[in-house]
Amino acid sequence: MRLPAIIVLVIFIAAGVVLGALNADMVGYDLAFFRVQLPKGAALLVALVVGWLLGGITAWLGVSSSRRQRLRAGKKPPVKP
Amino acid sequence: MNLMYVLVSLVPAAFVLGWWASRQIGARRSGAEVSELSSDYFRGLNYLLNEEQDKAIEVFLKLAEYNRDTVETHLALGNLFRRRGEVDRAIRLHQHLVSRPGLSDAMKTVALLELGEDYMRAGLLDRAEALFSDLVAMDAHAPSALRHLIAIYQHERDWHKAIEHARRLEVMTGEDETPMIAQFYCELADRARQHGARAEARDYLSLAFECQPDCVRAFMLTGRLQAEDSHHEEAVVAYEAAINADIAFTPEILPPLLDSYARSRQMSRAESFLSDMLGRYHGVSPVLALTRLYRQRDGERAAIDFLTAQLRQRPSVRGLMALIDATMDKIEGEARDNFLILRDLTRKLIEGQAMYRCSRCGFGAKAHHWQCPSCKNWSTIRPIHGVASE
Repeated sequence: MRLPAIIVLVIFIAAGVVLGALNADMVGYDLAFFRVQLPKGAALLVALVVGWLLGGITAWLGVSSSRRQRLRAGKKPPVKP
Repeated sequence: MNLMYVLVSLVPAAFVLGWWASRQIGARRSGAEVSELSSDYFRGLNYLLNEEQDKAIEVFLKLAEYNRDTVETHLALGNLFRRRGEVDRAIRLHQHLVSRPGLSDAMKTVALLELGEDYMRAGLLDRAEALFSDLVAMDAHAPSALRHLIAIYQHERDWHKAIEHARRLEVMTGEDETPMIAQFYCELADRARQHGARAEARDYLSLAFECQPDCVRAFMLTGRLQAEDSHHEEAVVAYEAAINADIAFTPEILPPLLDSYARSRQMSRAESFLSDMLGRYHGVSPVLALTRLYRQRDGERAAIDFLTAQLRQRPSVRGLMALIDATMDKIEGEARDNFLILRDLTRKLIEGQAMYRCSRCGFGAKAHHWQCPSCKNWSTIRPIHGVASE
């Protein structure tokens, strides 16, 4: 199971390097307060990483809050026998 | 501008992928925790069911360490320690639970109840009594606490307090405790009789009859009081009422009843009562009593004929021994020696047998007890019916 994952990872890294090399020309972004100059490949990577992190953090917050609610419900005093 | 569109559309796609990956990782981790906990729990349960309490304690200790908030696990552990006889460990554990800050009131009272049971098991009855009294005052697990208090007062033979708490239990639960209260009054009556307070004993007996009109023990004590006062006719009435109330106690009641018949010169009444009993009662005691009666009145031959005929219908070792005793005088020589051996063997056979058994817990006893020494229930010990006994 681990070997296919490593192969896929290597393929993606190679694709990233190739795409980065093919799109090395710089692009400029005007972000209202400041302007940035980035290679096209780096801009693509930043967009992917930011989206991934936002999705991951949202899911984690949702899971942990529901677990906290469940724990609070479980600590309620039991009914008298 | 085209690149900008690509980037903007990439962010939500990556968002969805990140969200999905995070959910997957979280679910896998919590699943692993739950399965570890539940596998430990079921392993402990399995040990408990297999009566391997040592191993169960190890597993539950691990569970309690894993999650210090699990009060139920601590309670289960305390119970296990108590059942294994490690009362000091059970006491420490329950004391720790009671003193734990932030424990809900309901769980604290459960822990107090358990601690009281630990004290009872350790023989620290005064501490247990104080705890259970507090629980009753707080109206927390009051029925259980009252039952324990009644057990303590029975142990201390403080029958007045036992009666008072049994009545409170009756009011609280709506269950009928009158047979038990009648037994407490009988204990008081018997104690008064032994101290010579006969009027007081009669008062307690009338209270016992108020609780349970067909209380066998109260009838028997009444008969005994009357016989001791030389009122043998009244004693006969009381003993006959005792047998009619519960025929199972016949072996206990017949000896004093026969004595009262003889002292009040009512042997014809004895014969008719015993003959009537033969149809209702399948034990050997009335047969032996009638055999003795026929021997005195009609002679040895008539008694042996009666006994032989009855033993064919209800074979019994006690009856066989009576038959051997009756025929012993008529034989001599080697046959007599053989009969002596046979008599010794049957006597040993009877001596090794339990004559009474508790109908609740199966405790076997050679003598009759009104309260079972094992399960502490009242009036559950009854004569065993079989070839070797009654």
